[in-house]
Amino acid sequence: MRKLLLNQSNIGILILLFIFPTSCLKDRITHTYSIQVPVYETLATARANMKSGPATELKTIGKVYVQGNYIFLNEIDKGIHVIDNSDPSKPVNLSFIKIPGNEDIAVKGSTMYADAYGDLVAFDISNPLHITPKKILDTVFTDRFYYYFGPNISYYDNYTTNSFNPDSMYVIIDWITKDTTVNYNSYPIMYYNSSCPSCAVVPSATYYAAANQNTGNGKSGSMARFAVVNDYLYTVSNVSLHTFDVSTSDNPISASNSNFGWNIETIYPFKNKLFIGSSSGVFIYDIATNPAQPTASGQFSHARACDPVIADDKYAYVTLSDGTKCGGYSNELDIVDATNLTNQNSLFKVYPLTHPEGLAKDGSTLFICDGKDGLKVFDASDALNLKQIGHIGGPETYDVIAENGLAIVIAKDGIYEYDYSDVNHIRQLSKLSVN
Amino acid sequence: MSLKKYLLSAACLCFIILNGYSQKNKTLRFHSINQLGLLNGQVGSAFQLQTVNGIQYKTWFAGAGVGLDYYKIRSIPLFFDARKEFGKTNNVFFVYADIGINFPSATDKEKVYLANEKYPNRMYVDAGIGYKLKLKNNTALLFSAGYSYKKITEQSYGIVPPPYGSPPFDSFDEIDYNLERLSIKIGIEF
Repeated sequence: MRKLLLNQSNIGILILLFIFPTSCLKDRITHTYSIQVPVYETLATARANMKSGPATELKTIGKVYVQGNYIFLNEIDKGIHVIDNSDPSKPVNLSFIKIPGNEDIAVKGSTMYADAYGDLVAFDISNPLHITPKKILDTVFTDRFYYYFGPNISYYDNYTTNSFNPDSMYVIIDWITKDTTVNYNSYPIMYYNSSCPSCAVVPSATYYAAANQNTGNGKSGSMARFAVVNDYLYTVSNVSLHTFDVSTSDNPISASNSNFGWNIETIYPFKNKLFIGSSSGVFIYDIATNPAQPTASGQFSHARACDPVIADDKYAYVTLSDGTKCGGYSNELDIVDATNLTNQNSLFKVYPLTHPEGLAKDGSTLFICDGKDGLKVFDASDALNLKQIGHIGGPETYDVIAENGLAIVIAKDGIYEYDYSDVNHIRQLSKLSVN
Repeated sequence: MSLKKYLLSAACLCFIILNGYSQKNKTLRFHSINQLGLLNGQVGSAFQLQTVNGIQYKTWFAGAGVGLDYYKIRSIPLFFDARKEFGKTNNVFFVYADIGINFPSATDKEKVYLANEKYPNRMYVDAGIGYKLKLKNNTALLFSAGYSYKKITEQSYGIVPPPYGSPPFDSFDEIDYNLERLSIKIGIEF
């Protein structure tokens, strides 16, 4: 009995040990997260630096434009890489033009048009090693009015009360990513909104990557927002179509600006039409009658999704992909009757895909960047019965420019070039890597 | 094979080898300790389950253990266990120490991040004192209390949408929980 009591008292001690110090224990919680810190520069300084400089590494690549033997590659919001592609098996990164806020490129002859936040800049590219700005149109893209007013670097949101003075205005020329660690003494309420990484898990280049468009001057993309047709530069913003007269190529003049639709994403010119992609459909604008003032001539609605579009004489090819930016759940290629887009029954055929992005068509060969599923090549001689004839796995592709047997593919990890002169034996020529 | 499965397989193999070896060598004796208990700390109380298998040599014991730990974020600790008994009677005090790796196995309710989350393996420690009440046939009841620590890290990678015209940027988000608990266990040894 005595032994049992002794045992019970021992167990009691253990229980007391358990109850006593619980309040002494405190969990230690640390939260580490990335923040972006802007680096400012006066607009005047930024403009003075808009010229060819030494080549820099490819980091966050965006839209691409091919003109002759040169590739102009957008580094998102930083500027443009100039790449000598005389030998597609050995592309050479020649130089970099600093253009803060640049996302789009178009070329007419020896003049390159680039946006710089709200400004349109015309560059002389006659000597690709010595590219200089010829004209800057102030604040023509009002949806990208990201100017800040010194000395307190407050958002320059009141254009009417602040004169446009590049010496006293600031633009963001870079963002520095910093990891910040916060220690919590008690449990924080973990609330995530748009700053939450989980809320946006789309590859960055999907916002910007370009596909094909034939402007008669060079090639850019179906996600491009700039397109040159003859003497006009057409640009789309989120809600509007802006036309510039570039009959004197180094002296662009604003010709018209019309609001339409919403969530406008891309512009693709084909013959006398502009195919404009939005997250809810494709609009066709006619530029035959009055190229300075395009007029709506058709519309095709689809489920909400990102939708680069290209076209040929008969059909428009629209890839729909889901994602945070555009919403929706569709991942498919829609082939639409391009001759009669006023007809709501113009949808011809739907092909399911993994996560299609940019696309290009050269003759009867259709190239589709299918995200992580790589590049898919189709025989599109019969649009109602596409036959897959090739598949290049590996790179996570976003966009492709295909012309004369050379496919330039934009992928998450760099630019690939492929020789498809024999579509049954496509071979890789080179890769310029993103660092 | 994942590291978790590999380590669990290794633990089972150790169990079989040690059991066989102890049956041949009379100075060494195989023991299996199976415990359930409570973990109590700042976020409240949670259950834990453990099985520890190893060899006893005189008053020393060493073995490998695996468990289920439901505190804050469910995890599977895999650990080395060492213990020493004090006293010459049938019923003795003992001290124990466990150190190992914690394999998180978070439920959906426990996750802070909604997507692209990762839970790397982190440290697990448990140390305390106990009382062993011997029963018949080499069986004993164990009561123990101690300090238990586990670290859980939740990570999320993604792309943050552009603020004010900046490009989207790769984002890294991490929450580190250093969880200190009082651990009480009741178990049976055979």
